[in-house]
Amino acid sequence: MSDTVLWYTTRGAGAVTLILLSAVVVLGVLSALRAQSPRWPRFLTTGLHRNLALLTLVFLALHIVTAVADPFTHLGWLAAVVPFSSYYRTLWLGLGVISFELLAAIVVTSLLRGFIGHGAWRAIHWLSYASWPIGVVHGFGTGTDAWSAWMLVLTIACVAAVAVSVGYRLMNGPRDPLATERTAFRAAVERRKES
Amino acid sequence: MSQLRLLAGRALTAGPEGLNEHLRRIGPLPAGGPELIEVLTRSGLTGRGGAWFPLGVKWRTVAAHSRGTAVVVANGAEGEPHSKKDRLLMTTRPHLILDGAFLAARAVRSKQVVLYVGEEHHAARQSMSAALAERSDEERRMVRTVSSPARYVAGSSSAAAHLVNTGIATPTTTPPSAHESGVDGAPTLVQNVESLAHVALIARYGDAWYRSAGRRGGAGTLLVTMSGGVAGPGVLEIEAGTTVAEALEMAGGATEPPGAVLVGGYFGSWVDAQQAWELPLDAGALRTRGLSLGCGVIGLLPKSRCGVCETAGIMRYLATESSAQCGPCFFGLRALADACSRIAERGSNPPDLQRLQRWANEVKGRGACHHPDGAVIFLQSALKAFAGEFAQHPAHWRAQASETRRPA
Repeated sequence: MSDTVLWYTTRGAGAVTLILLSAVVVLGVLSALRAQSPRWPRFLTTGLHRNLALLTLVFLALHIVTAVADPFTHLGWLAAVVPFSSYYRTLWLGLGVISFELLAAIVVTSLLRGFIGHGAWRAIHWLSYASWPIGVVHGFGTGTDAWSAWMLVLTIACVAAVAVSVGYRLMNGPRDPLATERTAFRAAVERRKES
Repeated sequence: MSQLRLLAGRALTAGPEGLNEHLRRIGPLPAGGPELIEVLTRSGLTGRGGAWFPLGVKWRTVAAHSRGTAVVVANGAEGEPHSKKDRLLMTTRPHLILDGAFLAARAVRSKQVVLYVGEEHHAARQSMSAALAERSDEERRMVRTVSSPARYVAGSSSAAAHLVNTGIATPTTTPPSAHESGVDGAPTLVQNVESLAHVALIARYGDAWYRSAGRRGGAGTLLVTMSGGVAGPGVLEIEAGTTVAEALEMAGGATEPPGAVLVGGYFGSWVDAQQAWELPLDAGALRTRGLSLGCGVIGLLPKSRCGVCETAGIMRYLATESSAQCGPCFFGLRALADACSRIAERGSNPPDLQRLQRWANEVKGRGACHHPDGAVIFLQSALKAFAGEFAQHPAHWRAQASETRRPA
C-alpha cells in the first residue's frame, strides 16, 4: 500500500471520528430530554448512542493504526499508547492518545456494566466530558487539514452542536428523565406499616 | 403422578397445619448444618421462585461469604398474577417453610430470618405468624416478618433486600447480588418458600428420597398453578416431568377447546396447544426446548379468546410494572405495549409488526434487573405462537380490556 493512501486514510478517519464522536456526545447529552414519537420511542436514542460509539471506535482504530503504520511518520506503537512519548508533536499527539484511552475506558466499562455495577460505570462515564474536548483540541492542534476551510467548518459545527446540546440540557433538561415515574413507583412499593 | 409430598397431610381446606401435627406427621426437625448443603447438591433441588437455580450452589456461595452474619429471606412475595402456590403453601403448611428457613440459617451460619410475604396475602401472613408463635423462643427471636408490596418486581431477590434495607421494593443493579451484599450489606440467601419447604423434607428423608419421585428423567415434585380455561383451576403438586396433558387431566380437563398454553406465567412463553400437551413440566427439560417453567403457572387460553388481545393486555401490565429505573425497560416496554395495543385496537399493520420484532431485540439485556428480558421473551413467544393472528388481526380490542391490569 502506498504511503499516500495511509496518510489520507489517517486524516479521513480522524475527521470521521470527530463527526461520530460529536454525534455520540450529543445523543448522550440529549438522551435525558423527553424527545420521542411513536416511530422513535425514547429508548432508541440510547441504543443509537451505543451503536454510534462502537462505530466511532472502529474509525478511531483506523486513524491510529494507519498513522502508526505509515512508514513516513516513524511514530512507533509506543507513541500510540503512552501519552507524550512521541518525538513528533509531543503535546498534540499526547492529547490524542489521552482522548483515545479515556474513550476506550468508557466503552469497555459500558460493555462490562453488568459486572462492574452501575455506580462505577456512571462515575467513569463522566470522563466523556474530558475525552471529547481533548480529542477536538488534538485534531485542531495537529490536524494537517485543521486550517483548511472544510475542516474548520466541520470542527466549528461539531463544537457548536455539542455546546448547544449541553446548553439546552442545562437549561431545559430535567436531571433525571424518569424522576416523576420513579417517584410514583417508589411511593407504590414503599414499606407499609408492619402488622 | 399425584405423589403428594409438600401437600401431604390434612385437607388443604382444613386450615394451616399446627406444629404438633406437623411433627407427628414428618418427625422432628433434624440438626442440619453445613453438611445439609452437600445433601441438597446431591438432590439436585432447584429454586422455585422462577429461576430454577441449584440450591446447593447458592447456599455454598452464601455460606462462603458468611461470617456468622448472613441473612435468610424466605420469599413469599408471589407477585406473579396467576400464581397461587406460594400463598397456598404458606396458608396450609407454614411449618415446612419455617423448618426450611431455620435449616438454611444453620447451613449458612445466619442468625436472622426474614419472612417476606406479599401484603395482599392476608391468610398467608396470618398463618405464618400463628405458626411462628408455636415455635421456640430462640427461633422466634431470629425471625421478623416484612410485607412485600403487591408489585411484579417486588419478588426479585435484590428488591427484597432493598425493601428490608431502605423500605423501597425496587430491584437494584447487580453486582453486588443479594448473596454477596444484601440485607444490611450482609450475604443474603433469598429463597422461595416452596424451595424451603422441599428442604424441610430433604433434610429428614435424604436426597435419594427426593429423586425417587419424578417421571421422564425429572426429579422430585413441584407445585404448579393451573389457570385460565381449566375445570379445576388452582395448585397441583406434580412429579417433575409430568406432561401438560397429564396435569390438565388432574385439574379436571379444559372447559372449552384450548388454542394456546402459557407455560411459566408472564415471564414464560405461549405455546400452541397442540405442541404443549406433551411438554414435560420439568425445568431442565423445558430449558432444552427454549422454554422456562418460571413460577409454575400453566395458563390455558381457549380457542374462543384472542391471543393478540391477551398479549396486549399482559404487555401493558408488564410495562406498568417497570420500576422506572432504567430507560430501556421503562420506555421500551411502554413502546412495545403501545404497538401491541395499536394492533389489538385498530387492527394489524405492517409497521407496528416490524417495530415489535425490531424493538424487542433492542430492549433485551438493557435493564439492571431481568424485568425487560422476561417481558421480551414473553412477547417474542406470542409473536411466534400467534403469528397468524398478529398478521391478520381485526380491530376489535375492547377498551375495558386495557383496564384489566391482571387479565384472568
